[in-house]
Amino acid sequence: MAICAVYTTQSLNPTCSISTPSKTHLGFHQKQVVFYTTGKKTSRRGSSSSPYVITCATGDSQTIVIGLAADSGCGKSTFMRRLTNVFGGAAEPPKGGNPDSNTLISDTTTVICLDDYHSLDRTGRKEKGVTALDPRANDFDLMYEQVKALKDGTAVDKPIYNHVTGLLDPPELIKPPKILVIEGLHPMYDARVRDLLDFSIYLDISNEVKFAWKIQRDMAERGHSLESIKASIEARKPDFDAYIDPQKQYADAVIEVLPTQLIPDDNEGKILRVKLIMKEGVKFFSPVYLFDEGSTISWIPCGRKLTCSYPGIKFSYGPDSYFGHEVSVLEMDGQFDRLDELIYVESHLSNLSTKFYGEVTQQMLKLSDFPGSNNGTGLFQTIVGLKIRDIFEQIIASKAKSPVAATKA
Amino acid sequence: VRPVAAAPDKISEKVADSIKGAEEACAGDPASGECIAAWDEVEELSAAASHARDRKKEADPLETYCKDNPETDECRTYED
Repeated sequence: MAICAVYTTQSLNPTCSISTPSKTHLGFHQKQVVFYTTGKKTSRRGSSSSPYVITCATGDSQTIVIGLAADSGCGKSTFMRRLTNVFGGAAEPPKGGNPDSNTLISDTTTVICLDDYHSLDRTGRKEKGVTALDPRANDFDLMYEQVKALKDGTAVDKPIYNHVTGLLDPPELIKPPKILVIEGLHPMYDARVRDLLDFSIYLDISNEVKFAWKIQRDMAERGHSLESIKASIEARKPDFDAYIDPQKQYADAVIEVLPTQLIPDDNEGKILRVKLIMKEGVKFFSPVYLFDEGSTISWIPCGRKLTCSYPGIKFSYGPDSYFGHEVSVLEMDGQFDRLDELIYVESHLSNLSTKFYGEVTQQMLKLSDFPGSNNGTGLFQTIVGLKIRDIFEQIIASKAKSPVAATKA
Repeated sequence: VRPVAAAPDKISEKVADSIKGAEEACAGDPASGECIAAWDEVEELSAAASHARDRKKEADPLETYCKDNPETDECRTYED
């Protein structure tokens, strides 16, 4: 297998090294090196067949960027842990850095919290009379620059917004990961940042459920009362509706959490109706379907094969339109009594992007103590996690096929 | 109802203070920017308190002990 050409382009990667098994190290500075062989395509991620190992600080723009938008207290962190679990390995805060850092790092994934791009700290917002939801309190120029740099394979010094003190702390160094997840209030607000995203998700929690969740979260806290929780939600609502909510039209997948329809007038927020809205025609993303793609189906799995107690489980699936886009919607209302029986449901879903039969169930069982494990939130978050893995693998594979084209892009 | 698993005292106190502050800020004009920013601060601190609570809850006493003392009888694990 001969190497026929070495392209050096004037861009990106400050730190690239190529090593052969005989441990020869060549350092390159400010240059990108592309190797390819004739005939067969270069195998991805370095290679089993080729004797050359190319390590480029995760270079040649192999970082893929995922955006997750949701309000605070809506289960973003649970979602994040489910997602990193799909890729294996626990996500942890950067070692030895600021103890109040919002970043989570695992082998493949780095999750950064967009609150770190607040341009105004807590006192600054109070003086100006704006909330954190307001675009004026956020530095989208810096957000764009740093996300772009990470996507291009360059490490950045990212500020840290300290949620305890409400101050902007000294920055921390973020290295380009394989998968960068930006989560927060505004990942799809700025058009430049939005264009950098390879996949985007919006967690849409209905007002009723949000209220119920915040009561569960805050009632035990000193000083909080039903009135204070209500007042806090009401005060933030105008900004939420103006700046956060409209982002969902750009999302490739929306997870909508609504009160159940199985119990009339339920407002406990314990039984949930969860919709997974998947955009059609997104590159590398093929929506999940139930039984038959494109049909409209309502399915109650409870019966001889699945034990359900009151109020049972109901699935629906069908095509729909969402902000003028064609979408597929999968809905689950109700909750599982026994998580291992989820395999029965999983076996009737198609296009899950699992590597083996039962992977969704296995992922859910691994994290069975997480909130939402017995209802649609956990199920759909896990499915989206698998979809992201699939998208990541396809993007890497397509870049490996045409390395020169990919570097030009 | 007494707080069951309250967050570390420092944050808990801050949440209580910020609620008081927000109620005062809104006493004059409930639609002012000042009032809205004050309630936003309450939300931010409540979220931080809840995260701190989760972290505290997660700590299993034996796991914590074993991190520091992996050689003790209680903690030794062998792959095969």
